[in-house]
Amino acid sequence: MLYEIENLAKVYGGRKVLDVSLLLERGKVTCFLGPNGAGKTTLLEVLAFISTPTSGVLRYKEDKVDFGKTDLVSLRKGVVLLLQKPILFSTSVYNNLEFPLKIRNIKKTEREKTVRQLLSLVGMERLSQAKAHKLSGGETQRVAIAQALACSPEVILMDEPTTSVDVENQIIIEGIIREINRLRGISVIFTTHDRLQASRLADNILFLHEGRVSLSINENIFSGIIEKDMGITFCVLANGLKIPVMTEKTGPARISIDPAGVKHGNAQSGYKVKGKVIQLTDEKEYVRALIDIGVPLSIIVNRADLPAIGEEVFFAFDPEKVEVF
Amino acid sequence: MTFFFDSFQSALQLLWSLDKDLLVIISVSLKVSFFSTIISSLIGVPLGLVIALNEFRWKRLLITVLNTLLALPTVVIGLFVYSFIARRGLLGYMGLLYTTKAMIIGQVILIVPIVTSLTLSAVSRIDSRYRKTAMTLGADAFQTAFVIIREARFGILASIITAFGRVIAEVGISMMLGGNARGFTRTMTTAMALEFDKGEFTMSIALGVILLIISFAVNSIFHYFQGKAGE
Repeated sequence: MLYEIENLAKVYGGRKVLDVSLLLERGKVTCFLGPNGAGKTTLLEVLAFISTPTSGVLRYKEDKVDFGKTDLVSLRKGVVLLLQKPILFSTSVYNNLEFPLKIRNIKKTEREKTVRQLLSLVGMERLSQAKAHKLSGGETQRVAIAQALACSPEVILMDEPTTSVDVENQIIIEGIIREINRLRGISVIFTTHDRLQASRLADNILFLHEGRVSLSINENIFSGIIEKDMGITFCVLANGLKIPVMTEKTGPARISIDPAGVKHGNAQSGYKVKGKVIQLTDEKEYVRALIDIGVPLSIIVNRADLPAIGEEVFFAFDPEKVEVF
Repeated sequence: MTFFFDSFQSALQLLWSLDKDLLVIISVSLKVSFFSTIISSLIGVPLGLVIALNEFRWKRLLITVLNTLLALPTVVIGLFVYSFIARRGLLGYMGLLYTTKAMIIGQVILIVPIVTSLTLSAVSRIDSRYRKTAMTLGADAFQTAFVIIREARFGILASIITAFGRVIAEVGISMMLGGNARGFTRTMTTAMALEFDKGEFTMSIALGVILLIISFAVNSIFHYFQGKAGE
């Protein structure tokens, strides 16, 4: 196992922004999917050993990490974090790539060779001597990836690697992520709020919401009022839709509906809630449908029972698959 | 108007004639200011860096004290150092009074808060991502500090230039601890004060013009390199 995380918590200004227990495997591409403020960046900074958790246990390659005693500099030499908006040192692209090699005492000839290879990998050979602070967002991101690879890491942590780049650079960066994982065997852990990107790249997808690992992602999070009707507890949404829930709470609450926990069928199925299919997305093992039920609802549908776009479908919600916050 | 014109002309004539007394005065001024600036930088830059990059209990109080020390009058420093190095003082046996060393000690006390405070401010303005990037690339504490100093270099250099400007123009410490001894501790500012006392206003202003020319030259060199690096 690469990381073993037990009740790892981080508190900022009295607010718990992270509280997770996880196991992350070696050699895989793992994605943390979640909205802004879900704790993705905080988690990556802890996994990169540049931020100290408030409590909990973190094991890296079976060894417990004591943030006060463990030699974190040595650990960081094998784990590199690519920031959401990377920043390059105010010198040439070449010098930026050379920096991690220099601090590892690599010989000059070896450094030159490695930098040339990395520039070629990210397609930046012609900008070797360019001032790094004059590069575009996409070019900066590519140089930052090359800089991370210069460290020959076992793990690369990427915080929303394509958030601030155009489509062309997004394709290049996704290609690099695949290549470094498959050809170099580097474990990649990245965050995104792009579900499609997550399914394109990741072997494992984990959902983060409000600092915790969640059943589903932000697309099915709604606010409502918890009420009891005929002995059944519901969350009544703003449009009057009643979602059955299992909770002791009452009053205002937020719910998260697991897209895989919504059953669907036709008018004869006996399901009560009606909606119209507005989008279908092929996501490797399943198809995701976006349904208009007054609010957009994302559900997982069977390939054998695929509705058409514009078709009316009926639903039933499994209360056990609805999380109440 | 004629008065200023004559003063300026006298300044140029003095420089042109390479007057021996003047050259000694300039050399003492530059030597004392140079060493006090170097020593202050060696103390103030690391101190500013440590305060900026670390969170500790009394940080805000320390910054307030530093900012207060920026307003420390030279006469107070002169008196303070004098009490230690005067013949009956704690360090009187070292014979420092009325030497350039005494002037340097006083000037270091004057400008360490300037270098520290402005370095702290320059480093605090540096994007925190530089620190995170250096750390995640495997840099240790010293290598990370070096990266931050490199990124904040213009701000740090500006603090050193400001400190140099402060000491080359100060008169109180030089007068009280140096004694304005001709050929030994007479600086441009103490010479100006002396010429003023003698009623030699033209000479006094001429020395002031020379002092400004030197300051201008130092600042021009700084801006030249800043511009080159920013291209």
